[in-house]
Amino acid sequence: MNCEEFEAIGLDAERDSSLSQVERAGAREHAATCSRCAALQDSWEAAGIELRAFAEDTSMAQAPARVEMRLRQEFRTQHVSMRVRRTAAFAAWALATAAVLVGAVSWVNWRRNSSSVVAHQSKSSQGAAIPAASDAKGVASQQSDTADSEALMADNELSDFTLLPGSLPADTMDAAILRVRMQRSSLGALGLPVNEERAGEWIQVDLLVGNDGLPQAVRLPQE
Amino acid sequence: MRIADLERDDVLLRRAAKGDEEAFLLIYRRHQAPMYRFALRMTGNTWAAEEIVQDVFMTLMRGPKKYDATRGALGAFLYGVARNRVMKHLERLPREVALEEKNEDGTGSGIVLQDASTPAMWLEKRERVRQVRDAVQELPVEFREAVVLCELEELSYEEAAQMAGCPIGTIRSRLHRGKALLMAKLEMLRGVPRRASAAR
Repeated sequence: MNCEEFEAIGLDAERDSSLSQVERAGAREHAATCSRCAALQDSWEAAGIELRAFAEDTSMAQAPARVEMRLRQEFRTQHVSMRVRRTAAFAAWALATAAVLVGAVSWVNWRRNSSSVVAHQSKSSQGAAIPAASDAKGVASQQSDTADSEALMADNELSDFTLLPGSLPADTMDAAILRVRMQRSSLGALGLPVNEERAGEWIQVDLLVGNDGLPQAVRLPQE
Repeated sequence: MRIADLERDDVLLRRAAKGDEEAFLLIYRRHQAPMYRFALRMTGNTWAAEEIVQDVFMTLMRGPKKYDATRGALGAFLYGVARNRVMKHLERLPREVALEEKNEDGTGSGIVLQDASTPAMWLEKRERVRQVRDAVQELPVEFREAVVLCELEELSYEEAAQMAGCPIGTIRSRLHRGKALLMAKLEMLRGVPRRASAAR
């Protein structure tokens, strides 16, 4: 090993694990024979000692406690805000899901109701046509004082009633429904046509009675 | 020593990522001192070192997934982050005046002088340490890094090369040149004529 090589790799040969044993031995041999390189190595080691003294000076140094405190604070802030964000996101999803469910249930109910109304309306229009046809050949009869006095609260569905002659739809708004038993001939007194052959028959009739106590409309309940 | 202290860093980090504050603090307590010493020796400034350590752990807190346990130890990862922060700091402030370091309680930087038997010797040694610290701070950054890693942190050439992200030969060369500059400066301060021309 010459002086140049010694300066490059020999000064720290004992510590440099990347050097081979032969190179280390060469460095030792050169330092033993070359006074200049030996002095250089002494100086190198002296610098090493001074650096170690400096290292010792700071060997116990550590970050002040306030750094840990700040980090702890930041950690809490970060994780609390993360938790809040997660909760908010969860709540938002839950609300959205609930809204969709409510919407779906409402829609299903609406569909069910609308189909039953259509069915009911078509049924009632058929029911109204039958008594009208059967009474087409009817005869006039007495007033409802001959009717059975049995009164019942009937179904409040007004669309099945047939307005009596001279009544207006607006008059039926606050009317009450009375279920009475009367002879078919009594329908004539209400202005409806009566079949003379069946005039003596007793029938059950729903009367829509206005505030003035006069019948406004009539309905033949279906058995 | 508690059982939690024996847990591996990556396990603790996973727990910390899920919000376990104690796990994060364990990691911090385990690694803060070497990070702080490295930053302090590189910057020569306690405030800068403190800020760098805080930055390093903030980075870990905000992005724990940046650390990949299969690629190395957490300590090495944190060293890498600290090194980047130190370099940024040195770029921003290329030459900071090294002030007399103070501890939190207002005392000195805690020079350990077990063998200083007389006040005169204590003062002399303290002055010498200050000179060495100033000389290290005056080294160019890449030489300073090599000196800090190999001489002060006592890492092997391989470890230092890995840390600095360069080949072993480069670290060796930087260390030699840095140490030569340091020797020249210290000898000049001592008033001893230079014996070596290694700094050339």
